[in-house]
Amino acid sequence: MSALQLKSREFRKTREAGWRELERLVDRVEKRGVPALSADELERLPLLYRAALSSLSVARSIALDRNLLLYLESLAFRAFLAVYGPRAGVLASAASFLRRDFPAAVRAARWHLLVAVLAALAGGVAGFMLVSLDEAWFSALVPAGVAGGRGAASTRQQLLDGEIFAPWPGPLRSFALAANFLLSHNTLVGITTFALGLAGGVPTVLLLAYQGLILGAFIALHADRGLAVDFLGWVAIHGVTELTAVLLCGAAGLVLAETVLFPGRYGRLDSLALRGRGAAQIAIGAVLLFFVAAILEGGFRQLVASTELRFAVAGVTAALWLAYFLFAGRKRR
Amino acid sequence: MMSVQERVSLFLEGTRRRRRDIVTPEGVTLPVEIATFGERATAFVLDVALWLGASIVLVLLLLLVAGPLLRLKGALAILAGALLLATFIIRNFYFIHFELAWRGATPGKRAVGLRVIDRGGGPLRPAAIVARNLTREIEAFLPLSLLLTLGGAGGAGPWGRLSLLAWLLLFALLPLFNRERLRAGDLIGGTLVVALPRRVLLADLVDKALDHRFTERQLAAYGAFELQILEELLRRPEGLETGRARREVCDRICRRIGWPAPVPDAEVERFLRDFYAAERAWLEREQLFGRLHADKSGSDAEPPPR
Repeated sequence: MSALQLKSREFRKTREAGWRELERLVDRVEKRGVPALSADELERLPLLYRAALSSLSVARSIALDRNLLLYLESLAFRAFLAVYGPRAGVLASAASFLRRDFPAAVRAARWHLLVAVLAALAGGVAGFMLVSLDEAWFSALVPAGVAGGRGAASTRQQLLDGEIFAPWPGPLRSFALAANFLLSHNTLVGITTFALGLAGGVPTVLLLAYQGLILGAFIALHADRGLAVDFLGWVAIHGVTELTAVLLCGAAGLVLAETVLFPGRYGRLDSLALRGRGAAQIAIGAVLLFFVAAILEGGFRQLVASTELRFAVAGVTAALWLAYFLFAGRKRR
Repeated sequence: MMSVQERVSLFLEGTRRRRRDIVTPEGVTLPVEIATFGERATAFVLDVALWLGASIVLVLLLLLVAGPLLRLKGALAILAGALLLATFIIRNFYFIHFELAWRGATPGKRAVGLRVIDRGGGPLRPAAIVARNLTREIEAFLPLSLLLTLGGAGGAGPWGRLSLLAWLLLFALLPLFNRERLRAGDLIGGTLVVALPRRVLLADLVDKALDHRFTERQLAAYGAFELQILEELLRRPEGLETGRARREVCDRICRRIGWPAPVPDAEVERFLRDFYAAERAWLEREQLFGRLHADKSGSDAEPPPR
């Protein structure tokens, strides 16, 4: 008796060699990565991948062989991963992040940053006014852990010797302070500020205002004792960096909040994927800023025991950050 | 409505995995299987174990080198700080490096057979990988290290600890509350974790000339669903049970299509193979003419995805 005319069988006979070749290439990529392929094979991979995709499309319309369909689906997907996988290494990704993605993400969120600044500023003014009126507010506003014994009872001399011009703790102790940056109060507040953006932004704004409130309270406390300038120098040397980081976290949280509240043309999940990446980039960059601030605070601040020099350092860092965020990675890709 | 392929999978495997279609940049739809919560948890535990192992080795080395320094005042705090920083860098390097170098798989994910892909089907960007992994710091590692380093900045008493626990639990269970098992990092990075099945291409069942002939009327008794179940039966390894199942299926087919002569035991496999070949040839021809026979009840199948 005659053999049957099966389109799917003929089709398989003509294409199978290509699938097998692709399968071998994909196997090697999965085991040893793309560098395991020679230049020739690297050129063949996308061609074979597209051929496998077209085979899959054809097979779906002409073949009822389940094994064949499942095999082609799995092969096409594995090849898809091999072809469209990330090509950059860790170092290259980090470099492109610092050089381009981070400042670009910050620039894209400039209005959110403005809102964050306004929220913190409002808090700062309120904190300053309240404590100027009555220093009892200080202990009410500032948590004990942050106040560190400072309060309405502190004298000018105590603040000068114990805080602003306290002796340098030595290299090891400074290093410990810097290394602990991840668990430092400000980093945690910053990260919480960012993450709470998912809750619609109100907690983010409140946290930012509260940070401003604390700073304002501190300034008022010192201003009353004629230490405003010295205190600002003491804070600014690392505070410029740290405050920028907190504000960036707030801006990133507000980006998240905006996508959650006003997803726009796409669904919430899709817009979160679209814009969340930028927000996460800002938050990640902010963690780096916190690290820099921790080094300045832990190692450097008490070493520079002069208010003028501290302001100079603060000014230089401020200028550097400003230039970085304004101009880095502006050029075309 | 399920496609024929899905119905067959459901029938054969008993359960159905969550699936999702992605569209490749070439415009072809590929179904992917979403990783289950258990698989992801297993992969994560494996990864954490590897990271902890690496960190412990590092600590021992550190102690070896800096042992004599330990007698200095405040050295313990410094050591703790250095450890914190080192483990932070190691774990982030670990996750990000492997997901970049192994195209979306850490050693743990690879052992379980999982992959990270872009949710829309586009290329997986390094920025997405960095975002989804650093979010893990916020989801798990920061609250964990705060919980473990009693005191510190988070030493806010039982309420503080309770809220940290709630935080951890909320993020750990988040994948259970959405269809695609996304954790917060996936939401922000726009990624999806899928299971990666490896399939082997087996020989075509239609190979020789046929010994049996069937009329079109007889072939019209079945549809694609039954055909693919029969395919699975024919591909099963030989054995007593397979033989018995084939015998039974053979008898049923004979009854349904009104096959005149009884099929002897030795002929059963030959008969089923021939029937499979003839049925597939007929169904594929019908499909080309736009007539889809999904199953024996004659209902039309969904048109195959493009």
